[in-house]
Amino acid sequence: MPISVPEPTSERGKGDAKRHRDKQKEVLKENLPKVIAEESIITGGSGKVRVPIRRLTIPDFRPGKSDGGGAGVGQGDGEEGEVLGRRPGKGKPGQAGEEAGEDYIDTEVDIAEIIELIFEDLGLPQLEEKQVKELIVELGWKIRGTAKGGPWALLDTKRTAQEGVKRFWFLLEALKDETGFSDLVCFSALKKAEGIFSEALVLLKNISDLPEETEVVAFPIFYTDDYRFHKIQSDTRYQSQAVLIAMMDVSGSMSTEKKYLARSMLFWLVQFLRKIYEKVVIRFIIHHTEARVVEEDVFFKTGESGGTNCFSAYELAGSLVDTEYPVAQWNVYAWHFSDGEDFDTNRTVGELRKLFERKINMFGYGEIRIGEHWRLFPSVSDSQLFTAFNKAFVVDKTEEEGVRVLTGRGDPFLGVVVTQKEHIFPAIKQFLKKDRWTSHA
Amino acid sequence: MPKPLDVERLRKIEKRIHEIAQEWGFLTTDIQFEIVGAQKMLEGMAYMFPVNFSHWSFGRDYETHRTIYDHTGSGIPYETVWNFTPPVALLVETNPFALNTIIIGHVYGHVDFFLGSKFLKIGRSFSDIADEAYYAAERFREYEVQHGKDEVEKIIDAGLAILWQQHPDIFMEEELDEEVARDRLLTMEREKARPGNDVDSQFKQGGIGDDTLTRKLQYLAQRVPPEPVYDLLGYITRYSPILKPHHRDMLTVMRNQGRSLAPQRKTKLLNEGWASYWHVRFMRRLFEEGLLTAEEHGIFNDFHSGVTRENRVGFNWYSIGLALFEYIEEKYDKGRFGKEYDACEDPVKKAFWDTHAMKGREKIFQVRSCYSDRMAIEEFFTDEFIHQMKLYIWESDVDAKTGETTYYIVEKDPEVIRRMLVRQCTLYGIEPIVVQNANHNRGGNLYLNHLSNDVELDPKRRDGTLVHIFTLWGKPVFLETNVDGKRVVCSFNGKKHEIKPK
Repeated sequence: MPISVPEPTSERGKGDAKRHRDKQKEVLKENLPKVIAEESIITGGSGKVRVPIRRLTIPDFRPGKSDGGGAGVGQGDGEEGEVLGRRPGKGKPGQAGEEAGEDYIDTEVDIAEIIELIFEDLGLPQLEEKQVKELIVELGWKIRGTAKGGPWALLDTKRTAQEGVKRFWFLLEALKDETGFSDLVCFSALKKAEGIFSEALVLLKNISDLPEETEVVAFPIFYTDDYRFHKIQSDTRYQSQAVLIAMMDVSGSMSTEKKYLARSMLFWLVQFLRKIYEKVVIRFIIHHTEARVVEEDVFFKTGESGGTNCFSAYELAGSLVDTEYPVAQWNVYAWHFSDGEDFDTNRTVGELRKLFERKINMFGYGEIRIGEHWRLFPSVSDSQLFTAFNKAFVVDKTEEEGVRVLTGRGDPFLGVVVTQKEHIFPAIKQFLKKDRWTSHA
Repeated sequence: MPKPLDVERLRKIEKRIHEIAQEWGFLTTDIQFEIVGAQKMLEGMAYMFPVNFSHWSFGRDYETHRTIYDHTGSGIPYETVWNFTPPVALLVETNPFALNTIIIGHVYGHVDFFLGSKFLKIGRSFSDIADEAYYAAERFREYEVQHGKDEVEKIIDAGLAILWQQHPDIFMEEELDEEVARDRLLTMEREKARPGNDVDSQFKQGGIGDDTLTRKLQYLAQRVPPEPVYDLLGYITRYSPILKPHHRDMLTVMRNQGRSLAPQRKTKLLNEGWASYWHVRFMRRLFEEGLLTAEEHGIFNDFHSGVTRENRVGFNWYSIGLALFEYIEEKYDKGRFGKEYDACEDPVKKAFWDTHAMKGREKIFQVRSCYSDRMAIEEFFTDEFIHQMKLYIWESDVDAKTGETTYYIVEKDPEVIRRMLVRQCTLYGIEPIVVQNANHNRGGNLYLNHLSNDVELDPKRRDGTLVHIFTLWGKPVFLETNVDGKRVVCSFNGKKHEIKPK
């Protein structure tokens, strides 16, 4: 008979739900290459992605067919042989089913979260303020002076906090003027309103509801104006815009896995460059025997068969620089992803020299050879491109953290051979080392 | 913004429902209703017991339910009732008033079922198990601290995978102690081998020689286990060579929970049908007595039609269960049973058969007390009922290239449908898997036998479960079963899966 309202108890559900989500994230990580395959992450950048995540279940002995189909009892009109419905193949965004085949649920995941996972997966640092600052220092950049605007990474927290406290006192005085109440009362309202002036005014209409304060303790209140930033010291010649020309060999040998690595590297690079330059543009060129400029999604989706002429891409990149990104106004970076095959390496080398003549900042060559560990199997040969670059340019051949590196001595050339995920970040760091960029005469 | 729950009015209605229930012959007792936030209700639904050990699968269910709740926001039409003494039921404070009224009626139906069904009276009391769960939660937390969360999670994962592999007869207490079982078996064999005391045997020549008997007894003495064991979790918990005491503790708690919930699984159709049958009648009565407004009655009708919607590829326990009881009631009210009725071959006569026997109410109460789902299906899912319900068997195929799944109707023959439903009452319809040999290949390997000649297991789940069993047993695990129409032995040795023909 009794109906009672009991005391609330602690929430266990949330803790366990989080554990479940963590496990889902692990599953997501394993499938990242496939997940981002269809998304324009670099240029799209925000919003959500629909990902079919396997609903984690405990396996048990259950009836089923080897092809994954099932059977059961249902209810409704219909005759034998009649089709009840269809579900699209798993892995594609389709309806999640509550009924049979409930294994996949379309979950919406923030692209930001996916990116976080990718970085985690590849050992790339998240671009938080502290890490960026450390990186900048590590790579040889210097930090000097204070600017009023800038990317978050360079926020000068101390100076900014000072501005914030100044504002606190300003607002407190304003409240006192407006309402005529005392220091302590106004402080209490401002505190409860968490620094929002209009809120505090509303609260001051009912001062009896306000908690009593015994002492005014200033806390920083930030308006955009108050932020103070470090300035990156750099050559005055470097203006604040950069273009990254990304080139990729799409002649059929670039697997999803390889493209995933290429894409992630590019993405991270762009993010980082955005911390350093005020404006960063990225252009995509794909090539097989011919080259063309495309959008991001095509860049990563395309797969052709046939031959490979890398020179076509370099040539196209060159004309892009000539027509749209003159080096006088732009910092030009070019990066070419390939697996090393090339039909006409002589012409390729020729085109690359022409790029250098245009005085681009940096040319990066990323050779992705997953699954081929040159250390274990010394018989895995150097690729055609690698050999050609090695011969044609004056380079230092080194190995850093497992990555084979070719560093140009007169030209801004950097070549890296990546054979596993762990090489991604070391490879990128090589590319960003500031002392490479002082080669401009 | 939902109206605050009018607790006083709800109390009055609950009191009235109690009186009506008694009038209708219910076994009733005081039920403790608790008004809680949606959160607590979702937790209760996910965790099976008011307080239970932590596991991500509970979290997952909690989140799934919560997501549904967050998105529909229209109230949680679920009941959580625990068979304590007195029983405890949860009501969600933000539900519309009418919904809570329905739920109270529904709960009274469940409680009557708990108290009346002979299947739910066996085994330990719910309170016992709930207490155990409460203390287990603390102990498991301790284990997490001492041995690490991952290890604890692994054991719970594995235990849950085979939680329901129990003896199909819930009245049966399997003897897990091998010595006791072996003794019994040997004694039985010796008895069988002894020449009988009847006249025929006295004069029979031969019979099995002492030699054969000795060898047979020797074999039985060594066979491990002496007889096939259905209780997988029980057997492994007891005899696994690698489990540590805290593992055994966790698995025992889980096994106890599994065993205590098994009878409910065997009577799910009848239980839900019973509660639905009565909540409809409670609502009608309350409306007749003017205790509910027309608007509230409208809400009830909406809810009811939603809950009893036909499910094209699923089995709607509520609606089919409800229809079943109404069918039985009509059948027995009109005297449509017994030798004469069964023997009648005239369909027209049968259709209009009505002896005014009026035994419907009596019969459904009897069904409530004495029938399991299986029994009810075998007796009352007649061709007529199956046609009325428009039931069919569907199958789905997955296209190997596109991954597209197509669902289609394969069978409408009532006999086939009946057989499938009966099968589904036993462990999802797979038929038992027993421990055949715990010393397979003399290596202490575990050999399981799937006691069915045609049922096939979902391969991914099957392999996943074998991995879990291996986690608990520590040595290679073998499963004899059916794949693509042939008898095979699937195995997992810790590193890879293999399938070999038997």
